[in-house]
Amino acid sequence: MDALSAMKMMVGQGAGVQLPTRIDTDAVPKISLPELSSLKSLDTVAGGGGGSFQNLLGDLVKDVSRKQAVAGETVNGLLSGKNVSLHQAMISMEEASVSFQLMVEVRNKLLESYQELMRMQI
Amino acid sequence: MINLLTGIDSTAAALNAERIRMDVVSQNIANVNTTRGLDGKPYQRQQVIFDTVLRAQQAGNSAAQSVQIARIEADHRAPKMIYSPGHRDANPQGMVAMPNINIHEEMVDMIASSRTFEANLAVVKNARAMAMQTLSIGKR
Repeated sequence: MDALSAMKMMVGQGAGVQLPTRIDTDAVPKISLPELSSLKSLDTVAGGGGGSFQNLLGDLVKDVSRKQAVAGETVNGLLSGKNVSLHQAMISMEEASVSFQLMVEVRNKLLESYQELMRMQI
Repeated sequence: MINLLTGIDSTAAALNAERIRMDVVSQNIANVNTTRGLDGKPYQRQQVIFDTVLRAQQAGNSAAQSVQIARIEADHRAPKMIYSPGHRDANPQGMVAMPNINIHEEMVDMIASSRTFEANLAVVKNARAMAMQTLSIGKR
């Protein structure tokens, strides 16, 4: 049996089912306004000081930028003969590099989920 | 600030301490024949004393134990006496007080310091590798 004939058979079986002709409006629960406003506040992080995900992301970028600035400062200090040791410079550079990688990964994930949403069939 | 390489603060402090220890060893080796130090007496061997310090971490409530140089103190062993009557600092008997430094001891100290430094560098490298491997979870 091919797929087309199987579908025809299923339609034939369902022919006897009574389809509802009228939607009962009383059966749909009414949502009051306070409940809607509580839904609106769901996108803020609970207990996170009221920062939204956007703020969190902004903080991450700021953090990475600050780490890069610290690394640059340390390397400048080392090269200009200030009291900065070699390992301090290397470690701060590594920290900056790893946090930058984390930021790139977060960005990749975000972009990936956006593209996934765009590909979604409606 | 986010702390991705945890425990790196202790390691950085240890690297710093080992570097200072190495400086002291090189100072000892450089002064192995110094018969008149800043105080007019022969140079005395210096040694470093390590102390544990508590370093409060920003992320997480654990207080990491770190290391620091508590002080650099002199070794109070007696100076080595050698016979050299023509020396500037010879005493009436013709004996010269040489620093109480044993060059072999200093070499062993230097090797130990170098190995400890290396171990701490390995910790840094490993912490970085762990962070990078963890970031690769997201890769396909």
